[in-house]
Amino acid sequence: MKFDDQKIRNIGISAHIDSGKTTLSERILFYTKRIHAIHDVKGKDGVGATMDSMDLEKERGITIASAATYCEWKGHEINIIDTPGHVDFTIEVERSLRVLDGAILVLCSVGGVQSQSITVDQQMKRYKVPCIAFINKCDRSGANPFRVIEQLRTKLGHNAVAMQIPVGLETELEGVVDLVAMKAVYFDGESGEEVRVEDIPPHLRAEAAAKREALVDAASLFSDELTEAILEEKEISPELLYAALRRGTLKRELTPVYMGSAYKNKAIQPLLDGVTYLLPAPSEVENVALDMNQNEEPVVLTGDPEKPIIALAFKLEDGQYGQLTYIRVYEGTIEKGATIVNVRNGKKVKVGRVVRMHADQMEDVDSLRAGYIGALFGIECSSGDTFVSPGINMTMTSMYVPKPVISLAIVPKDNKAQMAMSKALNRFSKEDPTFKTHVDPETNETIIEGMGELHLDIYVERMKREYNAEVTTGNPRVAYRETITQRADFNYTHKKQTGGSGQFGRIAGYIEPISDAEFVFENKIFGGAIPTQYIPACEKGFRQSMAKGPKLEFPITGVKVVIDDGSSHPVDSSDMAFQAAARGAFRDAYLRAKPVVHEPIMKVVVESPTEFQGSVMGLLNQRRGMIIGSQDEGVMCVIESQVPLGEMFGFSTVLRSATQGKAQFTMEFALYRQVPQSIAEKIALEAARNKKTAA
Amino acid sequence: MMIRKEIIERNPLLNLGFDREYILSDGGLGAVLAHAGVGKTALLVQTALHAMMHEQPVLHVSLNDAVSKVDLWYRELFNDMASKYDSAEITQYWENMLHYRFIMTFRVEGFSVPKLEERLADLMQQNIFKPHTVILDGLKFDESGRGLLVELKEMAGKYAMRIWCTVHTHRHEPPKEDGLPLSFLHVADLFDVLVQLSSRGPEVYIKALKGQSPDSRQDALLLDPATMLIKS
Repeated sequence: MKFDDQKIRNIGISAHIDSGKTTLSERILFYTKRIHAIHDVKGKDGVGATMDSMDLEKERGITIASAATYCEWKGHEINIIDTPGHVDFTIEVERSLRVLDGAILVLCSVGGVQSQSITVDQQMKRYKVPCIAFINKCDRSGANPFRVIEQLRTKLGHNAVAMQIPVGLETELEGVVDLVAMKAVYFDGESGEEVRVEDIPPHLRAEAAAKREALVDAASLFSDELTEAILEEKEISPELLYAALRRGTLKRELTPVYMGSAYKNKAIQPLLDGVTYLLPAPSEVENVALDMNQNEEPVVLTGDPEKPIIALAFKLEDGQYGQLTYIRVYEGTIEKGATIVNVRNGKKVKVGRVVRMHADQMEDVDSLRAGYIGALFGIECSSGDTFVSPGINMTMTSMYVPKPVISLAIVPKDNKAQMAMSKALNRFSKEDPTFKTHVDPETNETIIEGMGELHLDIYVERMKREYNAEVTTGNPRVAYRETITQRADFNYTHKKQTGGSGQFGRIAGYIEPISDAEFVFENKIFGGAIPTQYIPACEKGFRQSMAKGPKLEFPITGVKVVIDDGSSHPVDSSDMAFQAAARGAFRDAYLRAKPVVHEPIMKVVVESPTEFQGSVMGLLNQRRGMIIGSQDEGVMCVIESQVPLGEMFGFSTVLRSATQGKAQFTMEFALYRQVPQSIAEKIALEAARNKKTAA
Repeated sequence: MMIRKEIIERNPLLNLGFDREYILSDGGLGAVLAHAGVGKTALLVQTALHAMMHEQPVLHVSLNDAVSKVDLWYRELFNDMASKYDSAEITQYWENMLHYRFIMTFRVEGFSVPKLEERLADLMQQNIFKPHTVILDGLKFDESGRGLLVELKEMAGKYAMRIWCTVHTHRHEPPKEDGLPLSFLHVADLFDVLVQLSSRGPEVYIKALKGQSPDSRQDALLLDPATMLIKS
């Protein structure tokens, strides 16, 4: 293992579903000699792409969990995380971006910037990940890389600039012109492994010169030396140009764009060059940890491998030898046999095997230095935990985790399945923070919760395949919420005298709606009407009430409770009595505060051929969808809408049949919105029926 | 609702002395003329918000921007006005208003009136959306020719809609005496209402060029550039 921080690249490959990023990863592994044969996604050879290691991924042709791998290219070590494209799995994308230093944004040369690309781009912005773009599928009919570059500018606001122009397009795609070297590059051999560099074909010379000028112009904003060279009409060396482009890319003020076709083995090697020239080394990215001893003061990490260890566990997997913990080291060096501490629970653990991953195969190494990504064996932890050297108390910034919006009841077929199911659920909820599970105390059913129908489907399927847990599933249930719409006062006395010491507590105040928090408690009592020691009990009582609305029993959100008066009894008042008084006061005021039900609304984006635009809009409208707008993209159109999650079950089947399978859609949580009266009545009936069944 | 009152009272078009509440009558064509960056889109979004508050459906057709960007225009202008009001109530009000807006975007080169009419028919036949007002942003008047505008006016009449357009005027082209640029003259007669936005330093002024009642004020009004409402 070599140790040159400047030659490490930790990158992710992010894109819209079906833009070919798994195929691209496969080609990268092939050209860097990590694999010796190419297998296609949904391939006829039955082997499947190397990065899609789970059976299910191979079968459905999608990437579910990020597989991490590393490879070498021209003396650089590249760690790659292949990330899933479907919105239901975005937590995987977010976790990958958290540990990456750079990314390749893959775009389809026909589809261009699609809805998921926008989501992924926002995530990259959130984690300030510099990126280069790769316009894939230039061999497809309708390919137009320059339209995609324009979309990168207009739709995503990138300062996108072409690094290449294609030599031929669609079925005629032969190679690319490198605008830095001003040479045409072709890819010969059975799998495009032989790179042939020639002069630019005469018919492309003028276009290449114009595009190079635009490239040099864009780069000159980041280098005075380059500007000088332009003004003095000196020759511009590739080193000078790359240095300027790199500076712009690292600042996220420039997005260099490569192009080619992974499937046809065209122009992957120049993209790998781009990764090494333009994306940052670990030390060029600022990483911040929080010092727990200094009230979570942010501390900028130096990336020094000699310092104490700070590392983040960003992904867990259940392998045949126990739990495999993917880890990124930010400072220090994790060595075999070293002792590290899990900051979350203070537990000390001894590092056993240290490995570097190549999809589902691994390679033992002695240590992982700052800047590296690898995996540890036999470490019990959750995803997102920070590991440090003993004596250090720092944590990496916590990651944003969205709340689940859909739930499903699952029932094991027999006792054996019950055991396997709990094992599986325990693992899944540790691996994926957006996947939650609990037992409903009333129905005694196991409930799983997640980010969408497909998300839960995949876990039920994995339960069967990996853990042999046969389960039956109920209908998906939407995570409704209740809230209040107006202020209501309360003045409630809890009084009980049943022999022995009694219970007494009186609370007065009001509840009112708030839009920017789930629950706020404010104590405005002056003069000790309620003794200070009972105030936390009052808050606890109100908080307990928020768990379940008195009417429909959905969780309540958006309530501010203010208490301004009350009374106590020297003997009969207690924490218990004030908790009970708070619950009574809440029940009493809640119904007068005009409660309403809120439902999760999903942002649904459908991409469809224009001729089906009318029927797609009709389908969304029938599902109580509000169409925000439609975007005409020539032969295709993009319809953006907001649809209640409760109406989206089975939408993919309906959409397929209405559009001859030519439309596709993505869905992600947008907001909670009040349910219309007629639907609220239906929900109330349903809730009453469920309660009856449970009883 | 206070915000509704404010938008009506400070609406620049209503203050310029046009007779009707929505300025244009059924089948009417209106245009806002200005140089790039003065606020044509913002003014028409403000006009759209005015209609949406009166529960009148607005179709916003953009030939420049993506749906998300157009949506942002509306949100930003609304939030600028709404920041001083109760947030829970405003959020609910905004959610209700959104039902009265539909955004359609086309690529400039792919836009034609028959295509727009076809899309519109899709919406109206299925009872999804029937616009009262159409905002058409980004049409290039010097290139489109008179034919397209004649078709547009016919469509406005056929569906009893009113259509507002933005007209980009060029700084190198001095206006004629009536304030109209030379490149616009060949189609000016098709418009019932014309207003002009101009900037002097950081200030933006609005002036009616055509269509207001004869006894109304003829001078320009000062606008708040953040909201495109009359400066209070």
